[in-house]
Amino acid sequence: MFAYFIRRLFFVIFVVWGVTFATFFIAQVVPIDPAVAALGDNAREEQIQEFRERYGLNKSKPEQYLIYMGRLLSGDLGNSLRTQRPVVKDLQEFFPATVELSIAAFLVALVIGIPLGIWAAIRQNSSVDVGVRVLALFGGATPVFFLAVLLQYVLAQRLELLPVQGRLDGFLFPPPRVTGMVGIDALLARDWTAFFDSLKHLILPAFVLGAFSAAILTRMTRATMLEVLSQDYIRTARAKGLAQRIVIFRHALKNASLPVLTLLGGLLGGLLSGAVLTETIFSWPGIGRYVTQSATSLDFPAVMGVTLLVGLVYALINLVTDLLYAFLDPRIRYA
Amino acid sequence: MKRVMQYLATLAFALGLGMAQDARQTTLIYGGDWSDLITLDPQVSYEFSGGLITDNLYETLVRFEGTDLSTLKPGLAESWKVDRGANAWTITFNLRKGVKFSSGNEVTAKDVVYTFERALALKGPGSFLFTDIAALQPGATKAVSDYVVQVSLPKTSSPSTFLSILTFNIGGIVDSAEVQKNAKNNDYGKEWLTDHSAGSGPFRVVRWDRGSQVLLEANPNARNKPKLQRIIMREIKEATVLRTALESGEIDIAEGLTPEAVKALQGNNRFKILRADSLRLNYLGMNVKEGSPFANPKVREAVRYAINQDELVNGLVQGNGTKIQTIIPKGLLGYNPVTPYKFDPARAKKLLAEAGYPGGLEFELLVSTGICGGGVPCADIAAKLQSDFAKAGLKANVKAIANAEVLRTYRAQNHQVVLVGWSPDFPDPDGNATPLADFAAKSIAWRNVWNNPTASKLANQASLETDANKRAALYKLLTELVLREGPYAILYQPAVPIGLSAQVQGFVRSAIGTVRFENISKGQP
Repeated sequence: MFAYFIRRLFFVIFVVWGVTFATFFIAQVVPIDPAVAALGDNAREEQIQEFRERYGLNKSKPEQYLIYMGRLLSGDLGNSLRTQRPVVKDLQEFFPATVELSIAAFLVALVIGIPLGIWAAIRQNSSVDVGVRVLALFGGATPVFFLAVLLQYVLAQRLELLPVQGRLDGFLFPPPRVTGMVGIDALLARDWTAFFDSLKHLILPAFVLGAFSAAILTRMTRATMLEVLSQDYIRTARAKGLAQRIVIFRHALKNASLPVLTLLGGLLGGLLSGAVLTETIFSWPGIGRYVTQSATSLDFPAVMGVTLLVGLVYALINLVTDLLYAFLDPRIRYA
Repeated sequence: MKRVMQYLATLAFALGLGMAQDARQTTLIYGGDWSDLITLDPQVSYEFSGGLITDNLYETLVRFEGTDLSTLKPGLAESWKVDRGANAWTITFNLRKGVKFSSGNEVTAKDVVYTFERALALKGPGSFLFTDIAALQPGATKAVSDYVVQVSLPKTSSPSTFLSILTFNIGGIVDSAEVQKNAKNNDYGKEWLTDHSAGSGPFRVVRWDRGSQVLLEANPNARNKPKLQRIIMREIKEATVLRTALESGEIDIAEGLTPEAVKALQGNNRFKILRADSLRLNYLGMNVKEGSPFANPKVREAVRYAINQDELVNGLVQGNGTKIQTIIPKGLLGYNPVTPYKFDPARAKKLLAEAGYPGGLEFELLVSTGICGGGVPCADIAAKLQSDFAKAGLKANVKAIANAEVLRTYRAQNHQVVLVGWSPDFPDPDGNATPLADFAAKSIAWRNVWNNPTASKLANQASLETDANKRAALYKLLTELVLREGPYAILYQPAVPIGLSAQVQGFVRSAIGTVRFENISKGQP
């Protein structure tokens, strides 16, 4: 088990390196001059030259890559060309907002997706099943920006139930920054007004972002449950006279959970890599927005920093998922 | 016990509500796309939103007030004097006494010296204003006494331009003691000032949550006491959300509305619409390098006659811009209101034929995929021009690419015709005249390979002239010359559409984008 763990960790490093390599060379194809992008139209030639020199943009591409990787090995992600700050600091600033939103969206997906999937599976081919399937189809097919604007219009503008944008009402004084997640920071500061307000601000973006995941999760749960429910041991369990509740939750769900778990890992990874559209529409300062802005100005160190972070998150989530298999299915052994 | 708890909870809730009500009256939330914000350091900031904010954190020696960008008013200096020496200009500033920074330290001549030296040493994106334009040297700023500062400038630079530059955030005087206390490795406190403030302006920075908001609070020591306690600069990138947030009362001011949003909000008495001027010019740049069809002045004339400017400004831009044909924007000294080019496709055709293109002319029109001034996508403007041009036998092939790429092509003189904008670096006619008329400045005239010695000479003469009337006369000559012979077709001067809650009073935005927050108040809802 331990040897497996170490081997997998080594694999993580390899994956992350591959990601940086790919990103670096994709970035080279983009025909934008980062110096012009960072300094703007009015910049003088001397300023542009100075900028190129300061950030080593005059050097050859392989040389730039080697310098970058050399610094990376010593834990330095470099400075962003756009914000002129260490990329690590920028990530510390923007990632917590993404984590907060992703976890909320993930919970939305779990709370909606799994029960609906189970329900539809138990009532296969009933009107409930059809209803759930249609809902899942819409959830999976509605573009994020459409759903977001629609909900903003109905729930925020028309009914004035929820705020349109931001993480906290502007008229409230934000709680001291500790984790960078406003809700958690408000809890730490025992600022209940801010805490409830931050939850209010979280509902719409979390629902919009979670809707797609919920739809996929519903369909996956339904499909795997159906498969498991047709197995012999379920028939045996029923024949023994076990209650439906026990058959479903103890016997069927546990066995249906392996593929669902794999999917969950992927979904969480996807959510954590930053949702550009949701973050933009709800003015949510996460890494999705940070990386788009960095990419349009070809801010290579920043894009690389985000890529590394996302690669790492994915790899770690996969590792955790794999380790969880062993707990769910005692037949799986790692060696 | 339970009842006591319930009572306390109710009380806390009521108090919370009361405080929130109070906060609504004393807090202003100003929404807009502030995503260009990089730093709040006055000597480093060169972005639009950075200037907007730092302007309220720091005071400058001289300043412009309201929307008037041609009359200098006293700031931290109550008076100043320009002397023509044998080989240099000497500008003497007499500082106001008893003005305090937010730390409580007094503003003295040594802070001015420190600030100017700091601007030179940090070499920020805006420091060329000091080094290149004003030719200010390290050591040229001296404290004569605690309240008198002298700056000497070489004979070749323009003192009036320098004074205009000083109204900019680069001239925002910092608290030298406070900044030096927070300096690290000789950085003149640059890292610290990125998200802190040390000025004598009406507000000070409390915190900046990047990507989300900047929170400013009234500076208790300020000379100009603000009417509001708190200003929140809320970052909202999406124009439709900006509008919804204004309508639902989450923000008080929405800067950068779309023409559609402006239309929708007009006539709703809960809101006010303001079309704030800008100093930007949206124009076509024609490359006149040898061998290019645009090298012939008649072809350039033809292009200018082939644009239906009135339709463009009133139709597509929906009035969020002003018609202009000369190179100095409205609001600055030297603005020339003449508009001799009327839409005349027949005349354009004739000019083309005279130039040797009786069958018409085909060329590439380069535009950005982004938004041009006035909230209209650049590609839409290009499409409108394309259809106008077609009537005059000009066939424009529109090529829309990323803005940075448009600029790269333009800067390399590789365009044929480009649709871009220009905003002066400082509120002085020279901020347009030299770049757009003087080839040697290696700026816009150079990019279009337009080298006209008369224009260069006029631009230089005008920049050095200290007499306002003579200066205006020189700019009149220059603008007429460039209008007829230059490589441009100026399209319009965009306005910035701003939506305000009807409660907001005293909001004035100058054409360079400054807003004095201390004058803003909120009435009863």
